[in-house]
Amino acid sequence: MDHAAGPAATPPPAEIFRPRPARRAPPSTLGVQGWIRQNMFSSVPNALVTVIGIWIVYAFFDALFGWAIGNAVWQAESRRECLDEVGRAGACWPGVIAWIPNLIYGLYPKDQVWRINLAGLVLLLWAVPLWLPRVQSKVQIGLSLVLLFPLFASYLFLGGEKGIVWSALIALGLAAFLWTLLTAATETVFGLGIARFAVAALGFASRSDETRRRLAIAVLLAVYVVAVILVQALSLPFVPTRVWGGLFLTLVISGIGIAFSLPAGIVLALGRRSRMPLISLLSTTFIELFRSVPLITILFMFNTMLPLFLPVGVEVNQLLRAIVAVCLFSAAYMAEVVRGGLQAIPRGQYEAASAMGLGFWQATGLVIMPQALKIMIPTIVGNFIGLFKDTTLVSIVGLFDLLSMSRAVGEDTRWLGLFLEPFFFVTMIYFVVCFGMSQYSLNLEQRLSAGERR
Amino acid sequence: MNEAVAGAPPIELIGLNKWFGAFHVLKDIDLRVQEGERIVVCGPSGSGKSTMIRCINQLEHHQEGTIRIHGRSYGRDTRENDAIRREIGMVFQSFNLFPHLTVLENCTFALTWVRHMPKQEAEDLAMSFLARVRIPEQAAKYPLQLSGGQQQRVAIARALCVRPRIMLFDEPTSSLDPEMINEVLDTMVELAESGMTMVVVTHEMGFARKVADRVIFMDQGEIVEEAPPEAFFAAPRYDRTRLFLSQVL
Repeated sequence: MDHAAGPAATPPPAEIFRPRPARRAPPSTLGVQGWIRQNMFSSVPNALVTVIGIWIVYAFFDALFGWAIGNAVWQAESRRECLDEVGRAGACWPGVIAWIPNLIYGLYPKDQVWRINLAGLVLLLWAVPLWLPRVQSKVQIGLSLVLLFPLFASYLFLGGEKGIVWSALIALGLAAFLWTLLTAATETVFGLGIARFAVAALGFASRSDETRRRLAIAVLLAVYVVAVILVQALSLPFVPTRVWGGLFLTLVISGIGIAFSLPAGIVLALGRRSRMPLISLLSTTFIELFRSVPLITILFMFNTMLPLFLPVGVEVNQLLRAIVAVCLFSAAYMAEVVRGGLQAIPRGQYEAASAMGLGFWQATGLVIMPQALKIMIPTIVGNFIGLFKDTTLVSIVGLFDLLSMSRAVGEDTRWLGLFLEPFFFVTMIYFVVCFGMSQYSLNLEQRLSAGERR
Repeated sequence: MNEAVAGAPPIELIGLNKWFGAFHVLKDIDLRVQEGERIVVCGPSGSGKSTMIRCINQLEHHQEGTIRIHGRSYGRDTRENDAIRREIGMVFQSFNLFPHLTVLENCTFALTWVRHMPKQEAEDLAMSFLARVRIPEQAAKYPLQLSGGQQQRVAIARALCVRPRIMLFDEPTSSLDPEMINEVLDTMVELAESGMTMVVVTHEMGFARKVADRVIFMDQGEIVEEAPPEAFFAAPRYDRTRLFLSQVL
């Protein structure tokens, strides 16, 4: 630490070190031109491969474009007319267009379809505040969306008689939605949640904490009462699940699966890592059991074997059985994803939190999970995408999801044999949804890691 | 009975024994640290020095013996144990800052979640400690954007924020570039001068000479020698200590 030099040997005065300025990279390696030259035409064989590759891509898209758009028929009354007009050289879209309502809503009664659209709108409005920068209660809104939207939506979809308990739950869902809208509005405009805003607006801001808390609770209760009244006024006819179908059914099954699998996966992963032997054993058994069996087998088991174990007269809805099967299956997969993420977090992180006096749950929830979930985003979204596509398997137990609905088009007497076009259409829907999810995950990843790169 | 005892020494280790599986890491460790005392622990790797200070705040659990912090001993009650640990700040070799939080959030973290302090108050307090380690201008950055020395100073500020009465340092300079070691040591010297009770595991003998009240040399899970720095460096009693000193000095 002590570098004082003795007076005997005086070194010559130090020269000043000046770093050289950085130079520009050679132009041939920069920009689009540079990139093309370097990566596509760097040598004769390379250039040849590039040309052949471009030709293959062009030929493929040219043929596809000719079939799907160039030679396609857009107006016809039946498949016969299409065939008379262009033969098999062009697509016959009128069949698909005529079937679009069924592809989307299944056999859901036409005059009730607004209920599905309304649920979609509610979902959208509920989720929008999560992207608004000035909204602070994002965690609460996100949790209420995942936990309470299904309550409200299931009544919209099902309708029918509602008992007192069921009414109270539906109203809870609606109240959470109203609260989300109000809070998002007041937080955006005034920076205060609805309860605190109401307290301030009514002139109680200077009162004691106790009074303000009571008033805030009263405001929340008032929202709930409004929701109860609205739910009482809402009376919807019953729509049995066997007429549900199409994209709607696919979204219901995969949506519930997605919303359930992540939290359940986190619980299972923590359980598997637990030091308590019984919990660890149970979690491990569950995970390994469901991961070792194909989804199609689980669906089949739930559909045919579950009723054998239930008492006579108790019948579990077929859709519910499929949903439970999908949920358990995806939870087991998600548990392993989460466990992988947890293992990537150094032990020191937990130790630092622990040394500060945080307990296990706080350390896990505030330090470990946020970091683990962030690295897991690509894999988690990958699993969601897989789950969304796997729901096509529910057709095996007699549910009419998007894919099986598309096959029904070709069985319609007017459009007999029209399989390719609906199939193509459905493929595009799957592609748009899955590609959207993957792009969103990339975007999320970039935003979350923005501040943390070296 | 497990109340803080006035006048009790901050740290007492009595007959401490610990095994990793069949391996005996700590053998009958007895150590008593007085209020405001600065202890430097040194020794070859694998001598049990890190394990010993990790036992003091129960990052490792011992199998035999007693640990008393201000007269309170660790027991089965995890809440009680957590309460005792809050008296103790710890600085790690690998910093262990939370990479998903900014420097300021790292410092306010325990204040917010353990002490339930209001946000503004916690931020003011955290800023005062960041100023004390001379990096207040880095408060809004993320840990990985800082140099190693800066990260370790943030870690010190973070540990100090909860106002611990004891500070433990587990090789705080061992993973730093040579150019950054001094900035961290200077911060630790200042802390020592403020009268904090400190236990420091380190190979920085210059630091030991300058601030330690006692130097402890460990080998094979035992405290071999324990002496004030002048005596320790000038006339070590054991051949093992002399061999070690001849290699690190």
